[in-house]
Amino acid sequence: MSRLFSITKKSVIFLCVLFVINSCTSSPENVEHKVYTVEIKDMKFQPAELEVQKGDTVVWINRDMVAHDVTEQPDKTWASSPLAMGQSWSLVAEKSADYYCSIHVIMKGKLVVK
Amino acid sequence: MKSKIFFKLFTTTVIACAIMFSIPAFAQENTKLSDAEIASIAVTANQIDIDYAAIAKLKSKNADVVKFAETMAADHKAVIDQAVALVTKLNVTPKDNAVSQKLVADAVKTKKALNSKSGNTFNKAYIDNEVAYHKAVINAVENVLIPDAQNAELKSLLQSVLPVLKTHLEHAIMVQNKISK
Repeated sequence: MSRLFSITKKSVIFLCVLFVINSCTSSPENVEHKVYTVEIKDMKFQPAELEVQKGDTVVWINRDMVAHDVTEQPDKTWASSPLAMGQSWSLVAEKSADYYCSIHVIMKGKLVVK
Repeated sequence: MKSKIFFKLFTTTVIACAIMFSIPAFAQENTKLSDAEIASIAVTANQIDIDYAAIAKLKSKNADVVKFAETMAADHKAVIDQAVALVTKLNVTPKDNAVSQKLVADAVKTKKALNSKSGNTFNKAYIDNEVAYHKAVINAVENVLIPDAQNAELKSLLQSVLPVLKTHLEHAIMVQNKISK
């Protein structure tokens, strides 16, 4: 009986230790990801440089009267379609990237994933 | 050869000066432009650049020039759409005037000059004209149209067009530098 009690006690302690370890280790499912907005206004990405955590969502919204897009530079690994006034496009940030508007090539932005 | 270069330089300078001085000169000689006249000038100036872009899309095979022309056509159409929506809302009928007439007359000459060129000579002429035209229009919008506009929404529309024009100018200068190499 006392042996059974001892095994049960050890099992409970083991499970408690496992629970504590699990709580301290941040699994991706438990991280609360944030949503950031970049306004495209007056022919600029505002803010031009944005720092986010991996897995955060970035939403670009076009406030200008002309269409813009958001295109990774230099390889175009990701790109939005043209965004008319008021339209938006979002991306889950995986890694840092430079980007630009391929319609107005002088408009540039930077995404920094920490 | 020298006279050919001089003629090209002279023509470009004349076109630029004609646009650059027509609106401010009008404003100095006359009373303020009315909102109806400003609306007409805004639509005319945008339509002229759409017309230049149409010529470039037909005649040029340079990817940077064609891409720039496509952007000009789309952006200036978007500006016209906004201007038309605003004047419709305000119940203002754009009024033809000496400035819009001068812009159209100058554009006829420029289109004729552009249509007479081909190849890289065309590309250079088109982009040089775009640089000169945008400089002139920015100057006119900043120093005449915005100060003269009476209606707050019209003034605000003109102010929001300025960054678009300035971006076009930077883009044009970038293409100009690229094709002149």
